[in-house]
Amino acid sequence: MNVRIKELEFGYPNFSLNVRDLSFEASKISSLVGPNGAGKTTLLKCIGGVLPVEEGELYLNGKDLSLMKGRERAQHIGYVPQEYGSTFNYHVRDFVLMGRAAYLSLFSTPSKEDVRIAEEALEYVGLINYSHRYYFELSSGERRLVLIARALAQKPDILLLDEPTSFLDPKHEVEIMDLTARLAKEMKKTILITLHNLDLAIQYSDSIFFMKKGTIFAFGKPAEILNESLLENVYEIKMKIVEYDGRKFIVK
Amino acid sequence: MNGSKIKKNRLIYISLLILPIFLLIISLYIGSYHISPGDLGKTLLSAVTPKSYPNLPQALKDIVFRIRLPRILLALAVGASLSVSGASLQALFKNPLVNEYILGISFGAAFGAALSLVFLGKNFPTQIVAFIFAIGAVAAVLFIAGSAESHIVSLLLTGVIISAFFSALLSLVEFFASPYSLQALFFWLMGNLSLAAWKDLALSVPLMAIGILVLILLRWRMNVLSLSDEEARALGVDIRREKMLVIVSSTLTTAAATSVAGIIGWVGLIVPHLVRMIIGVDNRKVIPLSAAFGASFLMLADDITRVVAPFEIPIGVFTSIIGIPLFIFLFKKSKEIWL
Repeated sequence: MNVRIKELEFGYPNFSLNVRDLSFEASKISSLVGPNGAGKTTLLKCIGGVLPVEEGELYLNGKDLSLMKGRERAQHIGYVPQEYGSTFNYHVRDFVLMGRAAYLSLFSTPSKEDVRIAEEALEYVGLINYSHRYYFELSSGERRLVLIARALAQKPDILLLDEPTSFLDPKHEVEIMDLTARLAKEMKKTILITLHNLDLAIQYSDSIFFMKKGTIFAFGKPAEILNESLLENVYEIKMKIVEYDGRKFIVK
Repeated sequence: MNGSKIKKNRLIYISLLILPIFLLIISLYIGSYHISPGDLGKTLLSAVTPKSYPNLPQALKDIVFRIRLPRILLALAVGASLSVSGASLQALFKNPLVNEYILGISFGAAFGAALSLVFLGKNFPTQIVAFIFAIGAVAAVLFIAGSAESHIVSLLLTGVIISAFFSALLSLVEFFASPYSLQALFFWLMGNLSLAAWKDLALSVPLMAIGILVLILLRWRMNVLSLSDEEARALGVDIRREKMLVIVSSTLTTAAATSVAGIIGWVGLIVPHLVRMIIGVDNRKVIPLSAAFGASFLMLADDITRVVAPFEIPIGVFTSIIGIPLFIFLFKKSKEIWL
């Protein structure tokens, strides 16, 4: 499923997001990069229905997102936040099961089928043996995987990942990004991901979108778009691009 | 989780659900007038087939049906109401320390009761005005804070402000009250089940039952509502509508309970805490078990107030006296479970 955005506007008191015309390709990884406060997360939240879009249009495969109810939208789009925002220490399986909310009516409880789907999602992220562990017992990397599993239980076509690798060690960074690549390739998910680690963005993305001050500054395939003057314009510091083993790396 | 642990949990779950029935029967024996098991059985059966036991003394029937049974049923309903409301609001506000009175219900109800006792006299049922002001206080909180969707801190702060406002109004009414109505008001404020009559139950129990039923039906949804608003919205939840439903149902049950039994504190904090310690934080279990355990807790507390001293200790005073130390103990113990 592809995503198209037209004339999108959203504002906080000291910030406004303004995206004219933008498409994200189906079953590919598109990463949003840029300095802090550029509007990456805000854009992701607008697409995910977490923030209300004030002006503009969003389409999923040509279908107007504003005409969809929350439940229908959540069956198409899964949003993975940076962290879990509550104090209750649920079992991992119960936590992932909450991804089924969009398929259940107000007064119903999850069926065996819902449990099966939740377990399948846990299996996919490699944490099926953690089903009966408590969420807060897990490491940061494992918690991210559980958050992804919850979004997968929504059975979405599009996955929005908000800085899934921040504060993780290199092993877990790679683990999360490999999982993301598998989701695009095997499960045909359309992936939008915000990243601060440019090396990961170059290595894993099909397209990179550079954001600055609430707008899309530049976008394209990593091999075609990347150059040192673009990086300097976006981040306002000098950076060098070096090649090693056929891959590009950024040196600050 | 292995098979034996699942079995053990199921056993605990079922036992807790059955506990209120067991306590209801035990409670019927408790009181200053001794009733033998045989007599109690006959008296209960006489309600179904009045002709089979023509020689039962009227006093026995009066004690069981007019004094003990309504009081025990009220303890059951109020205990379940306060506990389920407490557990639900804790899930909604993502904070296990929130209680069922947080949105101003207690002071709203107290002011209503004071108005009724002072200006309408003791013959007018106190609970009607108490109920109206309990609902009014919550409506004021929601109106001032914006909506149920607004930030939790602003809702909680508004609850504190509205409580303070009604507390000031309460003092004003007390200032003008006669010594007799003051005495009646203090009696009400301390929480009391001893005056329960069938007509009080007829008015309040259906309201409590409706609220509890809705909250029990919403039990799994409460897990999703206990997430951050962003997460819940991303999962397709209509936060505004669903939160409002939980708040309205909790308010209805607590206001109905408070208006008939007065202010009985700590039940809505202790019971859900205990339940979470025993069975975990999944609201699919926490909400129904809070109902069962809350009902048992208040029936037991009421039994104790009837037997420990030569005079009856007001139930609200008793729940606070035992509730606070118990809560401190639970709070220290449960930290590792959910914080």
